Amino acid sequence: MILWLLIFLGGALAVVARQTAALRTARRLHDLREERSNLEARRADLERRIRLASSRQVLVPVAERSLGLHQPADSEFVLFVVPAPVTAGQDRP
Amino acid sequence: MVRPLARIAAVQFGFALSVAAILARAAQLQLMQGDRWAEQAQRQRTERVVLPARRGALYDRNGVPLAVSQEFYHIGIAPNELANPRSTGQLLSRQLGVPWPTLQQELRSKRWIYFNGPFTATQVERLRRLDGIHLTREFQRFYPSKTLARPIIGGLSPDGPAGAAGLELALDSILTGQPGEAVLLKDRAGRRYDSPARVIREPVPGDDVVLTIDAELQEIAERGLEEALRAMNAAGGDVVFLDPTNGQLLALASHQSGTRGAGVPRASTFTDPFEPGSTAKLFTAAALLMHRRVGPNDAVFAEGGSWRMPITSSGRVRIISDAHKTAGNLTLARTIQVSSNIGMAKFSSRLSPEEQFEMLRDFGFGTLTGAEFPSESRGRLARPDKWQPKYTRASMAMGYELGVTPVQLAAAYGAIANDGLLLTPTLVREIRSPSGDLLYKHEPEPVRRVVTPKIAAQLREFLKGAVGEGGTGEEAQLVNYTLLGKTGTAVRFEGGRYIRGEYTASFAALFPADHPQLIVIVKIDNPQGNYYGGLTAAPVTRTMLQQALASRRVAIDRSRLTVQDNGVRGESGPAPSAVSMARIVLSWPYVAADVKVTPLPVPEVAGQSVREAALALHRRGFRVNLRGLGRVSRTAPPGGEPALPGTAVTVWAE
Repeated sequence: MILWLLIFLGGALAVVARQTAALRTARRLHDLREERSNLEARRADLERRIRLASSRQVLVPVAERSLGLHQPADSEFVLFVVPAPVTAGQDRP
Repeated sequence: MVRPLARIAAVQFGFALSVAAILARAAQLQLMQGDRWAEQAQRQRTERVVLPARRGALYDRNGVPLAVSQEFYHIGIAPNELANPRSTGQLLSRQLGVPWPTLQQELRSKRWIYFNGPFTATQVERLRRLDGIHLTREFQRFYPSKTLARPIIGGLSPDGPAGAAGLELALDSILTGQPGEAVLLKDRAGRRYDSPARVIREPVPGDDVVLTIDAELQEIAERGLEEALRAMNAAGGDVVFLDPTNGQLLALASHQSGTRGAGVPRASTFTDPFEPGSTAKLFTAAALLMHRRVGPNDAVFAEGGSWRMPITSSGRVRIISDAHKTAGNLTLARTIQVSSNIGMAKFSSRLSPEEQFEMLRDFGFGTLTGAEFPSESRGRLARPDKWQPKYTRASMAMGYELGVTPVQLAAAYGAIANDGLLLTPTLVREIRSPSGDLLYKHEPEPVRRVVTPKIAAQLREFLKGAVGEGGTGEEAQLVNYTLLGKTGTAVRFEGGRYIRGEYTASFAALFPADHPQLIVIVKIDNPQGNYYGGLTAAPVTRTMLQQALASRRVAIDRSRLTVQDNGVRGESGPAPSAVSMARIVLSWPYVAADVKVTPLPVPEVAGQSVREAALALHRRGFRVNLRGLGRVSRTAPPGGEPALPGTAVTVWAE
């Protein structure tokens, strides 16, 4: 009889422990999802700000006003020509 | 007195009856009504929810995000559940940007306050743990650059996550994912808990689409157009950049009066046909060459710049005049160079209306281009049986009575650049699954061969004259590079009539002159002051090309450009000007001549964190394209495969 009672109690404790662990894991998962969501939102916001800050709309007026630069004519810049990609096994010229 | 045995028997019977009743009831509940009660219990403990699927993202050709889906929140507040209404209210006021007195008033007077927002995860981060604050999550579309290419990208319907305009509508079935379904556990207080084992169906995110748009070139086009419209006080305009070798549309900018600075303009590059004027002369020239109705030395009399063209046998005439008065005779090449209406009207009389119509039709006018844009206009090209004899033929040759969209015009000039082969213009470069697998890659789609390569070369020679010395498009010419082009100036046709004193100026360019890599169409509606295409649209084209060349990020094959251009100038192009600079050709990254670069095996980084993986790859000299966060699942090229240092390794992480 006592043995049966112990088995029952053991089983009940195992179920409770398992449920507790599952709920804890679920909460942790929920927290991680929230954190990922926060980080993604922050990344999107930063990307937007970087994109805006590095856009011509922002940079060109600043460069013109603060540094006295201007949009170059094609006679005012030099192109450094990048050679075609070297395929495997072929030496770079 | 009843005997004890009998009493015991009665009690036993009573017990037995009770047990039987209990068993019967248990059998009824378990065996007969079991399913119903189980279902009810399930409903009380669990809740079935729809898991929204993330809509696929739109990227430019270099991976710059143009439209992404992001989690946003709506907020509900139950004032009676707030533990500390004052401090929570002040926090809410700060986070949501709601004035504190207003919020305070609402907290006192209402039982439920709802803020539709939508608010970002960052905004609600500090509110998540508070009692009485109820967040509703949903995916919403986010455009990192609010204005960049918006007329083309379009937007979503305000009623739901479906595309309503532009590419969001055209690509809706690709971008839309499949929502999932899950069962959440609920406790006694009704609080909900995620349970990984209870997901019935995972949501499937939509596929990502890589567009052909080049964000940098798009910005150059939008900015260039806006500045030009402001300087010319024009009513609107369009710019198209197209790669003639594959039909990919690289940039599309549109502006209409009233939308500058506010609202999203129409994608008029696709939707608004205009009468192109002289930019369409080349297509009649193509018909004349194809049907051999004109020889290299054939010429027509220029009439001194004004001609009374007979249109009926009864003596009715149409007065045709040239802006650039020319004496003597005009060959076809000279006619294109000085953009003579009289020359084109006279040459076009050698074609039948059917021949002229077929050539315009073959260049794609009057039909949809096939680009993935939902509300594209066909333009306007009447059938020859609807033409007024003589009158319409001359009009068509001069670019009137014909409506074309800027994209149609770009595709037609693309055919001339592409040795006569008309390609379908496209906006979609690649489609990728959420895990990064390539599902579709654009390949050039030929529509038809419009003219032979030899005639296409002849037409390009005509264009060289049009932007050369004495040509109407001289203002477009660069110092160090040559381009081909044709100007156009047409009286504006709106609401079924021509508007006196209002013009549409346009310019079509092929850049560079040899093996063109870009087709540029610039159209300006009703510029004030100078209205000729050669003085308005042509300089805008030059400025935009200069900016594109100076930008490191615009996809122009500069090595081919330099080599080709040197050749052109050496043979027949203008001599380098005094201000041109010497060319210095360096290999990049710089490697001493005697050093051999050998392929190295890509490090095996699967299972590592993205930070560790990036470090390992950088140490070996590889560049890293990151897709996702977390642990690395695979790379391309895969680990162990040899690749040259400097190769971009794509890393997928989950």
